[in-house]
Amino acid sequence: MRTRISICAAAALAVAAALPIAAHHAFGGEFDPNKPVLLKGPVTKLEWVNPHAWIHLEVTNPDGTKEEWMVEGGTPNTLLRRGITRDSLKVGTIIVVDGYQARDHSLKRANGRNITYPDGRKLFLGSSGTGAPTDGADPTEPAKGRGRGGPGGR
Amino acid sequence: MPTSRLAFVPFVSFVTFVSLVSMAQVRRAPSTMPRTADGHPDFTGTYDAGTLTPVERAPGTPAIIPADEVKKLEKQAAARMTTGDAPIKGDRTAPPVGGDGSVGPAGNVGGYNTFWLDPGSHYTVINGQARASIVVDPPDGRVPAITPEARQRIAARTRTAAATSDTISRENDPGYEGGGAYDDPERRPLGERCLLGFGSTSGPPILPTYFYNNLHQIVQTKDSVMILTEMVHDARIVRMGGQHLPKTIRKWMGDSIGRWEGDTLVVDTTNFTDKTRFRGSTPDLHVVERFSRLDARTLLYRFTIEDPATWPRPWTGEYAWPATSDLIYEYACHEGNYALGNILRGARLKEAEDAAKKKP
Repeated sequence: MRTRISICAAAALAVAAALPIAAHHAFGGEFDPNKPVLLKGPVTKLEWVNPHAWIHLEVTNPDGTKEEWMVEGGTPNTLLRRGITRDSLKVGTIIVVDGYQARDHSLKRANGRNITYPDGRKLFLGSSGTGAPTDGADPTEPAKGRGRGGPGGR
Repeated sequence: MPTSRLAFVPFVSFVTFVSLVSMAQVRRAPSTMPRTADGHPDFTGTYDAGTLTPVERAPGTPAIIPADEVKKLEKQAAARMTTGDAPIKGDRTAPPVGGDGSVGPAGNVGGYNTFWLDPGSHYTVINGQARASIVVDPPDGRVPAITPEARQRIAARTRTAAATSDTISRENDPGYEGGGAYDDPERRPLGERCLLGFGSTSGPPILPTYFYNNLHQIVQTKDSVMILTEMVHDARIVRMGGQHLPKTIRKWMGDSIGRWEGDTLVVDTTNFTDKTRFRGSTPDLHVVERFSRLDARTLLYRFTIEDPATWPRPWTGEYAWPATSDLIYEYACHEGNYALGNILRGARLKEAEDAAKKKP
């Protein structure tokens, strides 16, 4: 019986573990596994649209030239339910993105496998003063819904 | 020894008391459940169909997960989300060339970090028992194997158009789908094209997404019931009473008519098209859904699937829909769907590159 339960648990876990990374569409068709990118720069624009939010950032190349990149994220609906809005990430906030470039290399687009602040904190999970949802730590900031970093967060 | 026995007696009494209380709650539910003016249960509200319970369970495993095991599994699921939320190195490098090695729906380039995800945090509980699968009949919790006829039909459909991208080398590119999957926008799944559902979120049958946007809203009147599915913003109107439309009139979500059987809303759906193929089903798919109340805040959603040309026997699933105070947001996604263009454009470029490589 014990073994059976363990098998069941293991199977359930395997299913659950495989699923959270699944999202809307064919990542393998859209992005090139042989073109990994690491992008760093200030946010220039947010497209808070379905099926995928797109975060624009300005990246400075080693030769000093600047390029605007677009980074694909998931649905804005889920973030809205947590109280995160398009205003939660301010233009000018420096972010770091790792991902893979679109197969069409002429497009400066990539998937956002990990989107963080420069200190490595995941985007939108941080504390006050970063453009992330408030956590109540800063009494001067108005409460802004149910950010996961704050009270009532998941 | 006598001490432990003494301690055991109150424990048993407590357990009995708790069981009786929960049984009493189940029985009391009908008198406290919201009802419409004409006396039927009122299902109007928003429900979160997100669950950790998968559609099928592993072969040979039990249907019910013991309470201690459920606690452990739910804790592990929560821990995975917390781990996913944890900070990583800010001065990290780009991911490895050749992809991150992930397989499955996210492809070899991986998905997004967990702040985008909301896959459900609990197993579905029905009458106090946590379920290991949504499928309850066959009793092994597995969708019956499709018929040889269905297998041939599905294979033939894949071969219908000449698959130009079949010739593409998939070496070092395991996330890239074969079978001419990118040859034509109409070969892409309906969800990816922002037309309908994702998997079978709009249904029928309505299934969880297992990643995000699992909300459904029911609006009920005497004559019709509307079921709005957030992912991908689909509204199905169920006509109460009445007959099915003529077989010549077919709809993407089928033609749904409803009736009351006591306090259960029974929705019968036929007249599907060949565009919405539920697990390879034919337009003759017949779905019977049964909505009832487990308690004043939880619906039981049960469905039976019948399509003899696809499955040798009907099969049934059920799971709980807890009410939520969260809001459904519009999921109008066609206009912002850069992904579909990127996917098709990427395939054309890959074809050209691979063709160039083959030239002597």
